[in-house]
Formats: sequence, C-alpha cells, structure tokens
Amino acid sequence: MVNTIFEVIGMVSPGGISPLDEAREELLREASIEAEAFGREKAQEESGPARSLLVFSVGAEWYAVDLVHVRKVLRPARIARVSGAAPEVLGLMNCQGEVLCVLDLRRILGTGKEKLSTAEMEGKFIVVIQHGGKEAGFLVDAVRDVAELPASSVHPVLDSVDPSRARLFEGTVACCGQFAGLLSPSACLNP
Amino acid sequence: MTTGSVDLLVVDDGAALRGYDCRDVVRVEEVAGEPGGYLVRLGRLGSPREVACREVLGSVALSAREIRPVPEVLRERITGEKPWAVGLTERGMYLLY
Repeated sequence: MVNTIFEVIGMVSPGGISPLDEAREELLREASIEAEAFGREKAQEESGPARSLLVFSVGAEWYAVDLVHVRKVLRPARIARVSGAAPEVLGLMNCQGEVLCVLDLRRILGTGKEKLSTAEMEGKFIVVIQHGGKEAGFLVDAVRDVAELPASSVHPVLDSVDPSRARLFEGTVACCGQFAGLLSPSACLNP
Repeated sequence: MTTGSVDLLVVDDGAALRGYDCRDVVRVEEVAGEPGGYLVRLGRLGSPREVACREVLGSVALSAREIRPVPEVLRERITGEKPWAVGLTERGMYLLY
C-alpha cells in the first residue's frame, strides 16, 4: 500500500480530513458561536430591555401582564359580595388582613356575562395587580407561564379585537406557541 | 361605645352584610306581609334615611384595628350609597354605611 505525500508528512488524518481543515472548522464553529452571541446582544440592545410577563388564560384566550405590576397570585378564599357594585365586581376578599377588591376579568374583557358562583371560582386564581396607587385582584382560569420577552416582541393590538376592548390592551405577544393579549393594568383598574 | 371602636347593627341585604352605627338607628320595623323583610330607620345622628333588608343579624362591636378603608377600585364601581369603611373580623366582612 502506497501512502500519499500528505499522509506521509502527517497532514491528513485517518478519516481523510487534514488537521488544518479541522483547525479551520473549529475556528469557524467558534466564530459562529461568537457571532450568534454578539447578534443576540445586539438584538437586545436594539429592542430594549426584556420584559417579564405573567401569562394566564381566561376561557380559551390567553393574556399577559407585565410582572412589574403583579403583586401576588392567590387562590380565591371567601369572597363577600357587595350590593350596588358594578357587574365586574365579584366582591371583597380578606387578603392577609387587607381588603382586596376582586374583579371578574371575563366581564371586563366582555367574554362572559353570567355571575360566577363561589363553587365556580374554585380552582381558579386571583392575580393581584397594582398600578397608579390602585390595587385589585383579577380572577383568571389558569396561570400559564412567566415569560421573558424583548420589548420589541410586543406587537400592536390585533385588528380582530373589538375597538371597545382595544383600550384594555398594550399590545399582543407570542409566547408558548400562543398569541396573548398584553393587558394594560391602568385600563383594567380604571372603569 | 368605647374609644376606638364602633357598635354596629348588622343586617343582611340579600347580597352582603351591612353594618350601621347603632347610635344612628332610630328603629327597626318588620315589613308587614313580607316574611324576612325589615326596614331600618336611621337618622338619629345624621340625615334621616331608611334601608330595606332581608334580615337583622344583631349587633357587633368593631375595634379600630378591625376597620379598613374601602378599596378605591370598589368605591369607583358602586352606584348609590357608598360604604365609608369595611369591617374585617374573623367572623366575616361587613360594609359599613
């Protein structure tokens, strides 16, 4: 068997790739990793700081709210009804010695009209939102995720959203393979 | 009535428990022909008014530490008479009018 000149001088590996090619490939791999990291940093610089969002669902629809405004997430306890209150007011709840007003997010969003019974509230969650000196708990069906997204990933409110409801949203985000309406805490807290 | 507390007449209006300052209550009348219907006449201290309720539950003394302000979010969403505070006790929650 006759060796080639490259094999003789040790420039070809047994697999047929020269050490030089291997080194070049290694360099290219490193360069590509570096470029990807640089690209991510640059994209983040361009898109502004990331936003942490609490993602939850009400019925079949998904919504999100900036975590900055979320004070806590609770399970519903005994809720005292209030006569003469607006339909979206579910009542008052004792929240560790503080009186919390609990609102029905379905009613605010116009996706539900019937008054929920105490039994129907079981298994749901109350997301306590604070903004502009006001605080309220919003009843939601399920808490889905905490997502960290660049500010640039907030898209305008979908055209399909009813104009009367559009003021309740800051925009639309895509997370967990779903579109979620990014709620405006100010609009949700103010009637 | 002691300093830092209030005696309340507690009534059930059918949806919520309401508390009225006992000192303001003129009298409680049973509405004829309506079982479980009562009329609470108020105005000994303030302006005269009357409140219909389903049941009169009795009186309760609330100390200052059991009284909380009405959440602004609720205050903005109540039509008609607005409560001035919320009574928060181990026994329950009362809207104070």
